[in-house]
Amino acid sequence: MAVRPQHMHDGGIVERRLRPIYDWLDNGNNKKALQEAEKVLKKSPSLQAAKALKALALYRLGKGPEAHALLDALAEEKPSDDSTLQAMTISYRESQQFHKVCALYEAAVKSEPTNEELYSHLFMSYVRVGDYRSQQRSAMALYKFAPKNPYYFWAVMSIVLQAKSTDDVTKKGILLSLAQRMVDNFITENKMEAEQEARLYIMILELQEKWNDILNFIEGPLYSQLVPRSTAQASIPYMKKLGHWRRLNLLCKDLLWDNQDRWDYYLPYFDSVFQLINNTEADSESGADDTAEKCHEFICQLVESMSSGRTLRGPYLARLELWKRLSVDGDPTALLGSGVALCIQYLRVFASKPCAVPDLKPYLAMIPQKEREDRCRDFLTCLGYDENSESESQDDIQRHISCLCAWRLTSPTCTADEYLDVAATLRRQYLRCVRQRLVAATTTEFCAADGYGILAAHHYFYAAVQQQNASPIVEALCLLELVLHKSPANFHAKVLLIALYHLLGNAVAAESVYRRLEAKHVQLVSLGWLHAARLAPALAPARALPLLADTHAFHRHHAKDSMEHLTYAYKYGTFEKLVELSAWGARLETCAWCALAARERALLALLAGPRAPLHAPPRLPAAPADNRDLNAIVSWDPPQCIDPELKSRTFELDVAYLRLKDALVSAIALCIECSDNRSAEEKGPQLEELQACIDAFGGAMDKCREKYGGKQRLSVSTPLPSRIIAFVGSSVPYRELYTCALRMTGALCGARAARGRERGVELRALLAASSRALPAPPAPPAAPWPLRDTLEAYANYLEFIGVVTFLLGVCNELTAPANTKKTKKKANQSPDQILTSELLSQLNDDVQDVIAYLEDVFEKWPTYDYSVSKLEDEMAKLDINDKYQCPVEQKLKNGLDEVLTDVKNILKKKSKYLKSLQ
Amino acid sequence: MTTIRPFTCEDMLHFNKVNLDPLTETYGLSFYTQYLAHWPEFFLVAESPSEEIMGYIMGKAEGHGENWHGHVTALTVSPDYRRLGIAATLMNILEEVSEKKKAYFVDLFVRVSNKVAINMYKNLGYIVYRTVLEYYSGDPDEDAYDMRKACSRDINKKSVVPLTHPVRPEDVD
Repeated sequence: MAVRPQHMHDGGIVERRLRPIYDWLDNGNNKKALQEAEKVLKKSPSLQAAKALKALALYRLGKGPEAHALLDALAEEKPSDDSTLQAMTISYRESQQFHKVCALYEAAVKSEPTNEELYSHLFMSYVRVGDYRSQQRSAMALYKFAPKNPYYFWAVMSIVLQAKSTDDVTKKGILLSLAQRMVDNFITENKMEAEQEARLYIMILELQEKWNDILNFIEGPLYSQLVPRSTAQASIPYMKKLGHWRRLNLLCKDLLWDNQDRWDYYLPYFDSVFQLINNTEADSESGADDTAEKCHEFICQLVESMSSGRTLRGPYLARLELWKRLSVDGDPTALLGSGVALCIQYLRVFASKPCAVPDLKPYLAMIPQKEREDRCRDFLTCLGYDENSESESQDDIQRHISCLCAWRLTSPTCTADEYLDVAATLRRQYLRCVRQRLVAATTTEFCAADGYGILAAHHYFYAAVQQQNASPIVEALCLLELVLHKSPANFHAKVLLIALYHLLGNAVAAESVYRRLEAKHVQLVSLGWLHAARLAPALAPARALPLLADTHAFHRHHAKDSMEHLTYAYKYGTFEKLVELSAWGARLETCAWCALAARERALLALLAGPRAPLHAPPRLPAAPADNRDLNAIVSWDPPQCIDPELKSRTFELDVAYLRLKDALVSAIALCIECSDNRSAEEKGPQLEELQACIDAFGGAMDKCREKYGGKQRLSVSTPLPSRIIAFVGSSVPYRELYTCALRMTGALCGARAARGRERGVELRALLAASSRALPAPPAPPAAPWPLRDTLEAYANYLEFIGVVTFLLGVCNELTAPANTKKTKKKANQSPDQILTSELLSQLNDDVQDVIAYLEDVFEKWPTYDYSVSKLEDEMAKLDINDKYQCPVEQKLKNGLDEVLTDVKNILKKKSKYLKSLQ
Repeated sequence: MTTIRPFTCEDMLHFNKVNLDPLTETYGLSFYTQYLAHWPEFFLVAESPSEEIMGYIMGKAEGHGENWHGHVTALTVSPDYRRLGIAATLMNILEEVSEKKKAYFVDLFVRVSNKVAINMYKNLGYIVYRTVLEYYSGDPDEDAYDMRKACSRDINKKSVVPLTHPVRPEDVD
């Protein structure tokens, strides 16, 4: 954010002097800015703006205490000029001291009680801290001497926010009627002049559930003057609330005649029809549709009325919606025919659009499973196709693919061989399109034929899961890489490739495609589960770190920005967005994935990062928010396999895992805090906290093991099984290992050496047994299905090695601080300290032994044969003059080699570090 | 088969299947929230019956005097929902909003290579008002067409008389 205020007022000598300071600050050269400010202050030592800018430069140079001393002194002078106040505001904002800005402007408006600009700044300063009452007070004070509409409505909105944030019903009622009265007065005096003011008024009435008043207001002259031509649409929700079904019905019919594709008009129309059906009072006069027959008649009229131009989906889907609603408690067949027939009719008309089958999905699910499965081939053949039809135009290919998709969605569960047959047929279709040059994708548009490849990949996946066999996944990868090669914009292929590479535990290969997805900003949050969350368990901790850091940076950046958006909303008077923006701010602030990313980053840095202070994450939110977009991968699972609880169920596991990791990071952070040279008494409260934290971790591990120990079904479109399953269900006793290592460190921090040594002895025993509990690498030569699980088991173990190595460093500092010379070390130690040092040294040896064991495992890790795909043979047979070489085999092989090499390097460094402690 | 509704913050978590398209830029969060806070009526979503985002339009009103106009900042439709007239619907609504705001015209920038989009805008009544040289940075930079359509307030259609010479990005107000 630019430091320079938008309007410099005096324009004279002061501005000229300050200009270079602003320039340096805005260019990020804070050192020069500081020098320049000092130069100016030499000439005019009392120039407040220069002092404020000096403070800002100091703060940005990391000299917080000096900056704040200067700011405090300056605040005492009660400055009231804009440049000074702005510069001070920036310093306070950057140091998250928002309350001080309020005090600053309170003092300023006292000296200039009719300065509009100062008062608006004061108001905004209260917005940033969410002090609604003070907002109201300052806005009203402002309105009194500057009677402008926005200020008045700032005050009204501030009252509404007070009402919304209180649980006291009486208080809420009083505040809302006050807000309403304020606007009512304005309306009576003919002062309301903006659309947003009208919307705020509706919001106030809504909070009081005064539906009738809202409808009257919307249908009145003022609303249509402020918001022209939107009365009809705006009144729909309130007619629903009031049960004005007949009016609503007629209104929606009117709207639908002019907008036959607007689903947001169909839904209230259906609501009204079904209310009227149940209503016994007949009123044939009104022309409202109060029977299923009339409703059907209306829809048929809409279908017939469509001009010869574009056929709209609306009226056709409306018929399906009527069928769906009627079938809830009856049989719509007499009126509409069978659901299958209606779906097929829809498919016949719209199969050339990629959206045809997604549109049908909710309706296919309504057809009884048996009927659906019996008739599944009708979906394939309804346009005269079968699996082997050779479509030759783009539209025809899309039609064929739509029919294939509808067929697959309705088919009964198959055997693995049947899935493989379907996959092979679809692959042949794709390759045929390649040969016949029907793959017409460009660098920015994908093409119909891609659909064959994508659907084939899904079927390879189904077969692989049934057979617990990686080979079909390799086939799918080969085909998808070809699709992506021909159709580089096809993100469906990209996300599927990423998911499938991760399914095989290959982080590096997944990374190669993820980079092409160019996911950024908010996508780091909504799609983070797809890739960034899977790097560490695929044994790629060093590759995970930069991605986790990106996520963390996004999160922090947002936290800084989110308050400013609220001030914009006031500035532009968009009151209805205020509530939404603050809820959004909170949702991102409490993002579960960002919280986990921060903790993973802290823990993985102990393993794979350079030795550095712990990246202590911000506090864990009480109720973490699920911001994952699980619809990013299209699912072709039949309706009975769709799990409506999927999102909440997988999220529950993720949050449980997050809490475990949080306890670990918190415990480690406490160990660090307690490792200074204060006395044990002084450390008392923190040591107790550490104890509680370790207990909580142990207890949570036990509970989670009971709850989440089971296996999870794999699905191509959903996240891989939560990491908690492998962590708590492992044969390696992580609960004991972590608690023991942490308790040992805690005891040594609290000067309870004997206790610490006991824990150390326990840890030695646990450690000796632990590595033997790790699974052996899957046997070669075939591409191994369990590789992902095996790598995850090793990843969890390595994380522990990272932590225990770090803790040994902490303990070592406690018993033999690095600044005492090695030779003197022994001489200065008490017998008790010598015992502890010896134990730590033995433990250190044990960890080194484990590392040596792991290095050996990784050294001897088998290589696998990934050359299973028949794709290239088939391509050769097709006689395509194409020099395409399938990259999958190399990617899989190199990917595994690379992570193993990385991990061996990491272990070497750990080993070297451990030796340096002895 | 479309629900048209205001874009909300939460839509940013669900627009992946639209934004992963290579010609659709994903901006920093504050870009979206700034538009939401400033011009919410110009920021709309087209949603499918299964509540999937099919596309969205993002715009604003700006300019002084006879240059007061609606501007289309971003218009995008998911590849799975193309050729259904969704972009046209969204454009119509944005034009309607601009009419309500008493704008003189609506304008937009488009890559000169984006033939599909240019044709669509032409079919919707837009003309190429001028070429903006090297407006899109990249390798190499690409020119933009500044396309315009007059609103009813511009009775004499003064706003849509094409310029004969291209302009530089810094000359675009």
